Amino acid sequence: MAKKGVPEWLNSSLWASSSSPPASASTTAAARLPRSPPSPNPQAPALSPIPEPRSPPCPNPQAPTRSPIPEPPPPPRPPQPPTEAPRPSVEAPPDDRSPSRLSQEEVSRQFQFLAEVVNIGELRKLASQGIPDGTGIRSIVWKLLLGYLPYDREFWMQELAKKRSQYKAFKEEFLMNPSEMARRMEESAGHKNEALETGGCGFLMRSEITHDEHPLSLGKTSVWNQFFQETEIIEQIERDVKRTHPDMQFFCGDSSLAKSNQEALRHILIIFAKLNPGIRYVQGMNEILAPLFYVFRNDPDQDNAAYAEADAFFCFVELLSGFRDNFCQKLDNSVVGIRSTISKLSELLKKHDGELWRHLEITTKVNPQFYAFRWITLLLTQEFNFVDSLHIWDALLSDPDGPQETLLRVCCAMLILVRKRLLAGDFTSNLKLLQNYPQTNINHLLYVANKLGGSSAG
Amino acid sequence: MVLVLAIGDLHIPHRAPDLPAKFKSMLVPGKIQHILCTGNLCIKEVHDYLKSLCPDLHIARGEYDEDARYPENKTLTIGQFKLGLCHGHQIIPWGDLDSLAMLQRQLDVDILVTGHTHQFKAYKHEAGVVINPGSATGAYSSITYDVNPSFVLMDIDGLRVVVYVYELIDGEVKVDKIDFKKTANTQSAH
Repeated sequence: MAKKGVPEWLNSSLWASSSSPPASASTTAAARLPRSPPSPNPQAPALSPIPEPRSPPCPNPQAPTRSPIPEPPPPPRPPQPPTEAPRPSVEAPPDDRSPSRLSQEEVSRQFQFLAEVVNIGELRKLASQGIPDGTGIRSIVWKLLLGYLPYDREFWMQELAKKRSQYKAFKEEFLMNPSEMARRMEESAGHKNEALETGGCGFLMRSEITHDEHPLSLGKTSVWNQFFQETEIIEQIERDVKRTHPDMQFFCGDSSLAKSNQEALRHILIIFAKLNPGIRYVQGMNEILAPLFYVFRNDPDQDNAAYAEADAFFCFVELLSGFRDNFCQKLDNSVVGIRSTISKLSELLKKHDGELWRHLEITTKVNPQFYAFRWITLLLTQEFNFVDSLHIWDALLSDPDGPQETLLRVCCAMLILVRKRLLAGDFTSNLKLLQNYPQTNINHLLYVANKLGGSSAG
Repeated sequence: MVLVLAIGDLHIPHRAPDLPAKFKSMLVPGKIQHILCTGNLCIKEVHDYLKSLCPDLHIARGEYDEDARYPENKTLTIGQFKLGLCHGHQIIPWGDLDSLAMLQRQLDVDILVTGHTHQFKAYKHEAGVVINPGSATGAYSSITYDVNPSFVLMDIDGLRVVVYVYELIDGEVKVDKIDFKKTANTQSAH
């Protein structure tokens, strides 16, 4: 996959950092990321001609040793001494995974990852410009940005194992139906009813039940009662999951893939609702979960993809922790609620484009709640097509202070980009435009949003 | 996890005005998936009430039922179990377990639900299990006046059935349960 020459910004001063701790990639770097091609310098467009195998020979995650790739690797490259940052060349430790389709831009990013300890600041900066689609590193990057993976690569294995087993425990605890629960309780209590299994005749023995544990129980502590009370939420979750992204084969349809993905989404949302009785499930959470799960499930590392459900759960919790207040109805009018966030957006627009603000809010009386509510609570997943929203999420997640600041800047940029049409329109046409935001060049949008951030000093 | 309610012999309005209040408070819609009614409701209002608990309602004709269209016997399959339903006044001697076993073999069902005696019974023999949910209102029967209101809720889960017996004794609801498993049949006689 030969690419054109080096893009302009690659040679920019961003890469010219004097110290190069991130560049001191070690040869024992964790082999979680695609290996880079053996290009000695970024100018050489030569890329590995090998079509990247989709199932890279990742070492068994249980094995702490990083063994060399079992599959016949491409000719082993000599590990190159790490150079200064401006030359984002990468050496290719032999125990890295086989190369994916890499382009020059991607090369430059991946050298960051070969460090033992990820430099999260650099990573954030890089991610804010968007993560290239074909590389399959988005999954890892998002996990790092959300704090799911620790920065020190050595601890990845144990962290992941710990979290995944924790999720499994959650599943067992929360997804069992009362029949199974009753059966487990009995078995643990040592009751055995073998007589009934044999062909004996006679009156069946009645046994006492404990603690009012019968299906029609109205007791508060009865598992049956709790089960039926939660049925309503579970039904709501099921309905929403079925409606998630109906245009995507991944989520919707009759294929077993879609069904298993839907089931995974359902499990995650049910467990979240049960673990958070204060906020339960609110419509829209499925939209926030969908990109996370999609990205993790499409991780080229088969192992990670298999555990996508567990990883997505924790990242979802992490992501939502910043936004919980948006979903809590009681907090709507409070300082942290959605109304105040929307008014922050309004202020931002006023600061950067007073004319537009005036026209929108005063002249045409387009209350920002009419359009910004969905933009903010659903993190712009509904405004753009799926791939574009992934790019936007790259930028959102890369914000060290949490996605909200960047989100507001992106929303502001969205408004500014269509200012001509807004200024020319009245209430109806403006509202129509903003509720069906036209397709735009996402890179341009992010660029404008970035500029807004830079220029808003204090 | 399928919940099946077995209830019958209410004899409303002739012998009893209504279900006991404690039973009524427990029987709420949304929990039960099927109802097997042994018969002798007797009027349409009771039918409508049961229908409101669960849309899948099966009734067998009892001798006092005002709706003559109910069938004498009914069979249905729920999960891995075949269930049969019959009021029981047709089987003589009334409540005789061997005769009921004959009916069960005739209908070829794993669980036979019958009524008429107004006494709860759960009996196992080689052909399967016979369950009599008794009378849910405690109405007197042709045989005895001493009747405790009772009904049965079955939790069918794979090859295992947990039968919860609800009885009103001295004004209090008493719940017992019975567990039994069906041995997996290699031949499926459908």
